[in-house]
Amino acid sequence: MAKLKLASYWAAACGGCDVAILDVHEKILDIAAAADIVFWPIATDFKYRDVEAMPDANIDVTLFHGAVRNSENEHLAHLLREKSKVLVAFGSCAHIGGIPGLANLFTREEIFKRVYGESPSTVNPEKVEPQAKVTMPEGEITIPEFYDTVKSLNQVVEVDYYVPGCPPTPKQIWNVVQAIVNGQLPAKGTVIGASEKTQCDECQRKKQEKKITGFKRIATAQPDPDTCFLEQGFLCMGPVTRGGCDTRCQLSGVPCRGCYGPPPGVLDQGAKALSAIASVIEAKEEADVQRIIDEIPDPLRSFNRFGIPASLIKRKVL
Amino acid sequence: MKRISIDPITRLEGHGKIEIFLADDGSVANAYFQVPELRGFEKFVEGMPIEEVPRVVSRICGV
Repeated sequence: MAKLKLASYWAAACGGCDVAILDVHEKILDIAAAADIVFWPIATDFKYRDVEAMPDANIDVTLFHGAVRNSENEHLAHLLREKSKVLVAFGSCAHIGGIPGLANLFTREEIFKRVYGESPSTVNPEKVEPQAKVTMPEGEITIPEFYDTVKSLNQVVEVDYYVPGCPPTPKQIWNVVQAIVNGQLPAKGTVIGASEKTQCDECQRKKQEKKITGFKRIATAQPDPDTCFLEQGFLCMGPVTRGGCDTRCQLSGVPCRGCYGPPPGVLDQGAKALSAIASVIEAKEEADVQRIIDEIPDPLRSFNRFGIPASLIKRKVL
Repeated sequence: MKRISIDPITRLEGHGKIEIFLADDGSVANAYFQVPELRGFEKFVEGMPIEEVPRVVSRICGV
């Protein structure tokens, strides 16, 4: 059998997904035995022109990390869709927008103003901001257009599979690789490399009936290491987050922030979080309800930490 | 003017490209290193609870 052709690409990403792939350690040799890497910027020296020169559907599987944040990301999403038989949205950014998607709570102008004008480490008296095209004495040079809105991969091209997580765990990556190599991928459109349960179903912390009379912050209060975070009043996205990561954050002493995205059957993770929290608040007077709600730290960015672009609100109104 | 584009630069974290312009005699007239990416962490962490910031800015670079 011919070796598989694999590609791995990062759009608006941090490189953590690529490193998570390398974190399969010596099993990377098994991947190399089963597949040829035809494009992987972090590890190999193929150029965009090499991908452009490929026949359509030349790549068996592309693992696409990162959100679509600028015109280069979008171009590569279309290019790799064209060149790949199977396109996988790999990691939270490609899956649901990820951390870069938090930028959708601001406009492009607000971001540029802060980054290139106001940040304490910036010296820019001429107030230069990035331009997609600049004419230099030797010729024109270009950079990608920075979009107002960050998108998940499936908002730009058709996606065959989703591997959630920021980053996906090496154990789950290995499961996905085995499914690819052995031709055991499920129906298209499926979330793979995760479980069908919620974080709470898989969390080892002791749970009783949840009745929240106030919210605390781990910056100012010490959580009990063996008890459910939410029952102690620490905001946790466990009830509204897909499992499969072995609850690595909860085991590290911090509440889940939702990187594995919504569990099966949930359209909007943030809205579901709002609903879940509302149902466990224990208050008799309206004033108590208001006090408890006011204690939720940064609700918008906590309920939607990884999934603003894929949420129903998608972004701040322009 | 002849131009050599290195796009993308590889085997490092992040995105970059290099445009090299050559004079008629083949010598390098000028070269531009460009960073074609921005995500805007400087803006979207503003006002965030301090204990949440390390969990967000660790995604600036995962390498």
